[in-house]
Amino acid sequence: MKAICWMGTGKVEVHTVDDPQIINPSDAIIRVTRTAICGSDLHLFDGYIPTMESGDILGHEFMGIVEEVGSSVTKLKRGDRVVIPFTIACGNCFFCHKDLWSLCDNTNPNARVCESMYGYSGSALFGYSHIYGGFAGGQAQYVRVPFADVGPIKIESDIDDEKVLFLSDIYPTGYQAAENANIQPGDTVAVFGCGPVGLFAIASAYMLGAGRVIAIDRFPERLALARDYCGATVIDYTDGNPSIVEALRDLSNGIGPDSIIDAVGMEAHGVDAAAIYDKIDQALMMETDRPTVLRQAIQAVRKGGTLSIPGVYGGDLDKLNFGAAFGKGLTMKMGQTNMHKYLKPLLDRVYAGQIDPSFLISHRIGMEDVPQMYKTWRDKKDGVTKVVIDPFRESGIEKLRA
Amino acid sequence: MAESAFQTGEVRFPKTGGTWTPLPNDTSGNKVRSHAVQTINATPEQIFNVYSRIELLPTWQEGVVSVEETGANTLHWKMEDPGTRAPVEFDSEILEAEQGKRHVSRITSGPSAGSTVILSLEPHPAGRGTMATMITDATVPGGWLTNAITAVVSRRPQQITTENLRHLKELIESGEIPTVEGQPAGRRGISGKLKQILLGENMPTPPGTRENARPEDMPTRNLLGSTPSKTLTTIGLIALPILVGTVIWASVSGDD
Ligand SMILES: NC(=O)c1ccc[n+]([C@@H]2O[C@H](COP(=O)([O-])OP(=O)(O)OC[C@H]3O[C@@H](n4cnc5c(N)ncnc54)[C@H](O)[C@@H]3O)[C@@H](O)[C@H]2O)c1
Ligand SMILES: [Zn+2]
Ligand SMILES: [Zn+2]
Repeated sequence: MKAICWMGTGKVEVHTVDDPQIINPSDAIIRVTRTAICGSDLHLFDGYIPTMESGDILGHEFMGIVEEVGSSVTKLKRGDRVVIPFTIACGNCFFCHKDLWSLCDNTNPNARVCESMYGYSGSALFGYSHIYGGFAGGQAQYVRVPFADVGPIKIESDIDDEKVLFLSDIYPTGYQAAENANIQPGDTVAVFGCGPVGLFAIASAYMLGAGRVIAIDRFPERLALARDYCGATVIDYTDGNPSIVEALRDLSNGIGPDSIIDAVGMEAHGVDAAAIYDKIDQALMMETDRPTVLRQAIQAVRKGGTLSIPGVYGGDLDKLNFGAAFGKGLTMKMGQTNMHKYLKPLLDRVYAGQIDPSFLISHRIGMEDVPQMYKTWRDKKDGVTKVVIDPFRESGIEKLRA
Repeated sequence: MAESAFQTGEVRFPKTGGTWTPLPNDTSGNKVRSHAVQTINATPEQIFNVYSRIELLPTWQEGVVSVEETGANTLHWKMEDPGTRAPVEFDSEILEAEQGKRHVSRITSGPSAGSTVILSLEPHPAGRGTMATMITDATVPGGWLTNAITAVVSRRPQQITTENLRHLKELIESGEIPTVEGQPAGRRGISGKLKQILLGENMPTPPGTRENARPEDMPTRNLLGSTPSKTLTTIGLIALPILVGTVIWASVSGDD
């Protein structure tokens, strides 16, 4: 089959590799009908997540048709259409029972590596480095899905793939981000980043009762989606170099947003002195992450407010004003998404017509286009807001927006 | 192990607490003492049964080729270093086997004679299943130097204790041990292969799954909050896999 392989920092290639096989009895093999590139893939592409190995198959947002199931699988059969959550969970450990699916105890074959870095290991993830298990990902024609009775959600209507594909990650991730923001009816919520995660976080904040959502980014096409589809008040943080802290104070009647969502993460872009310092530090491996947005969020949120952090961080942060977080009595919630908890309720919202998750797709491409599109996606060129891949199409870039 | 049982209702003071006693984790000469602790979502009896089932041993312990009963309380082991394929054979005996509570065994022949492993089981006070503690006191040929070398090319002996208890938990809770062995990948190249070794991915995952166990040997799923299933009466002989692992890896260090 054809698969997208990580071959080193900044190097993604299409390779012909063996088809996946059933290995454990709970496995299923899925023929992938749609997959996507995620902002998280950029952290791998740019070399900021350690423990990638050349040859790794990328991709954690995918769906498809069940080809084959292992001997213990009872809920799926050949021919079923399924969306696969990007976190792999066993369904029977303490954490799975607590709805903390992304922290499952039993799915990471490299748990010891994660333990040595983080103390304890989270669940395995598809296509997301060896610290998270080294599972081959779904930017491929076929993929092996372990614990197939636990994760995949069946799509039993004839709804378009692209309207349900994002149940695999970004839609639940945006939703969990809003849930973690502890929103009370009428609250003001600010969202840093209008990438896919930020956009779904904005929409979800409204679903959970926010009165006003303020969104911050610098790309006009992303700000436009935030304003015109999701209903946010938008700020372009490069337009005249405003103080974001001041803008958020003014927009929240002088007290600061009740909650702030950091949907940017470790590779924040920044223009101030601290941001330049971070870039140098990160390049020198003195810190792993550039917490530009996190710093601003700590300053900007109201006293006693909540920071929700869906943006990925990998390691040590430098020059983070923890004293400000302490002095203002902040609450912080973060982490990989506990996917399994959200699949059904969020699919129901799609069926009910509340949201069409395909609203943000800008490009539909074939396999040979993927390496080039990783660069476009990283540089946010060509108006890109979300890329979906048809793994059985050779090439041909379709732009879905003018 | 629990100093105080889980208590609901009114708490009054003074209330007597406890003092932490460290579990063994040290190296001196050719002795490596280590421990692992896990909370497992199953009853102590169920864990004891899986642990003591001889035919299951090669499915959850790293490097075990086969285990045979040689007497009422004795076993013969064949093991193999997964990296080098170097074989090791030895005998073990069961010193204690108290169903659902405690199991102690000792290696009686070979370079690691005298090594012991103790598994203790106790119900979790808040109903999360069982607290399992595994303590190994291993005689390692080569002593600390070998230990240091194995830490680089293979597993540290302490890590073997951790991995074995982890694999036991995974098998019991989820019905299988997670693995990526045999999945497709693009060209690994030299750096990819090197990283695999550095991350310890050259150690094969034991092939344990619910499928290669008899149904009565494996607990049913979703035990959290449910009542213990029937207690088994026969106790199989138990294994010393962990020690053995320690011995093997230590004795073949550096050859990978
Ligand atoms: N927690 C999870 O489970 C989970 C799941 C998916 C993605 N993520 C993470 O969420 C983050 C966003 O993902 P995405 O797919 O939307 O990525 P993306 O790269 O498309 O979006 C990031 C956006 O942040 C904007 N941005 C950069 N610097 C900024 C700044 N200083 N201020 C305001 N905006 C800024 C960028 O312009 C971009 O639009 C990533 O870190 C990703 O890894 C987490
Ligand atoms: Zn993602
Ligand atoms: Zn689990």
